[in-house]
Amino acid sequence: MREDRSLERLVEEVRQGWIPAAVYSDPEVFAAEVERVFGRAWVFLAHESEVPEPGDYVVRRVVHDSFIVVRDEHGAVRVLANVCRHRGMQVCRAERGNASHFRCTYHGWTYRNTGDLVGVPFHEDAYGGDRHFPKSAYGLLSAPRVASYNGLVFASLDPQAPDLEDYLGGFRYYLDFYTRHSPAGLEVHGPQRWRVRANWKIGAENFCGDTYHTPYTHQSIAEIGLFGEHKPSKRKEGALYFADRGGGTTYKLPPGSFAERLRYVGYPEEMIERMERTWAPEQRALVGEAGFMVSAATLFPNLSFVHNWPRVREGGPPVPFVSIRLWQPVGPDETEVYSWFAVDRLAPEEFKQDSYRSYLLSFGTSGMFEQDDVENWTSITAVAAGRWSGGIRLHSRMGLAADGTVLRQPLEGWPGPGRAFQGFGEYNQRALLELWCEYLEAGEAVRT
Amino acid sequence: MTQATGFVDENLVRLDGRDPDYHAVAEFLYREAELLDERRWREWLALLADEVTYEMPVRVTRAHSLEGSVLTDMDHFREDRFTLEKRVERLETEYAWTEDPPSRTRHVVTNLRVFRSSSGDLVAKSYLLLFRSRGDVRPPEWVCAERTDRLRRVDGQLRLVHRRIVVDESVLRTQNLAIFL
Repeated sequence: MREDRSLERLVEEVRQGWIPAAVYSDPEVFAAEVERVFGRAWVFLAHESEVPEPGDYVVRRVVHDSFIVVRDEHGAVRVLANVCRHRGMQVCRAERGNASHFRCTYHGWTYRNTGDLVGVPFHEDAYGGDRHFPKSAYGLLSAPRVASYNGLVFASLDPQAPDLEDYLGGFRYYLDFYTRHSPAGLEVHGPQRWRVRANWKIGAENFCGDTYHTPYTHQSIAEIGLFGEHKPSKRKEGALYFADRGGGTTYKLPPGSFAERLRYVGYPEEMIERMERTWAPEQRALVGEAGFMVSAATLFPNLSFVHNWPRVREGGPPVPFVSIRLWQPVGPDETEVYSWFAVDRLAPEEFKQDSYRSYLLSFGTSGMFEQDDVENWTSITAVAAGRWSGGIRLHSRMGLAADGTVLRQPLEGWPGPGRAFQGFGEYNQRALLELWCEYLEAGEAVRT
Repeated sequence: MTQATGFVDENLVRLDGRDPDYHAVAEFLYREAELLDERRWREWLALLADEVTYEMPVRVTRAHSLEGSVLTDMDHFREDRFTLEKRVERLETEYAWTEDPPSRTRHVVTNLRVFRSSSGDLVAKSYLLLFRSRGDVRPPEWVCAERTDRLRRVDGQLRLVHRRIVVDESVLRTQNLAIFL
């Protein structure tokens, strides 16, 4: 018999940095996550630039709930449940396109892209007309909560979720480095989508704080000369920040001004000038004064970002790129990865092309960084499913002394919200899983 | 992002099975499949022209027709000689974990149609079924695609100048593309 696998016990152990491997494969844990994490948190669906024109839509999921993210005929982005109000058919079975209406293939109920029900066959004969069946009461449902930040569209299935801005909290400061390089904002391309036999949390944890894996997992990239920072071991000089619902990693840059450091990672002058005008003084201080450049990050629960600057030509300069990725849970041991390339809309065309090349070489389905990451994560997930090995406590206590106190103090004078530690440590993974613990403990959302 | 290069609609004349070039192209593709399955990447690279371009756009599910199901602004691969060589170089290091232990692959190439273009290049359309088996626990993975290749004689030898891989899945069911198609 397995030992005590109650959620209370799991949560207690995870909090101490001793993670029972089974949290990465147990169907009961996954069921609890679907209810308590994905049923309540703000979950990313799409970027507004994916639906630029009226009628443009993409279909996305919150675990098993399907939503149509559509720009309606008035220009507003809506998140409509992909569920016919009659018998529950999906009214949209494509993944993207442009439509003025969504029509159910079962009985032909037709909805405008605002969600309004406008067509019910035999409305008079079958339902007694509007007196007995007012069409206005049967529009497509909207996700319980919808909000966006820097064009990132989120939904929460919990009507009582805090406002998105409060949910993001201090993480907004960091989010801007990935998603707001100018007032025009991002254009995103993709996503590439693929399925990996790995639990969704492993990628989320890795992106939010695992600088320790870079020198070994990604040694091949350094060896072939594509790593922007010549020595992957430089990662230990980076700071690990965490603020409210998310955290991430950084690289320590060589001495220089704000502009010099952005130039160092490969941004062209005009983009640097726009960043300078767009970011607040306390944001610019992270780069210009503290000397850190954001790299991978995760916003709880399953949205990650990566900013890196590999080399894309022999002996060439580094070329930075931003990628947004969603760890979409399919089941306890399977995740669908959505990976977008993102670039500032105003960036010069030549930079966009180079940055895209930089992204494709390093992340996504064929990305040479990504390939070796996923190899590790599928292996962990397989171990976690073992009857016996699932009970092994995995060590997530890097940066803690034997008595549980921190080995290093947080950085003083860190210009951003939250706290930051310099050097290797699993501070952020623990912080992310602390949120996971809090959501699991708080129970289920109110059902509507 | 980038414009799909595709194939300009030029005068393509279909070759029948009696044309020696039909067999030369078939032999090229079979040879190439063999080299990839045997992980002889350096010999594979030698089959590529210096100016080779190699692209695999992302496929999506659209309503009504297949039109627009090939994205023009997102790819799984968009490679040139430098990036293909870097990928090979990586596989040759001791740290390419995702291919160590290696996949056992089989590139099944079928439904070949060969055309001669007005410039003298040969254009080959073929179906590819890639079988990929790794380790001893998980079921094998498959990638199915149509490839359109442009081949050119360089010093009397056929070389791949351009490859476009149109994959059938919108969501790949293979762990990554640490392999070539």
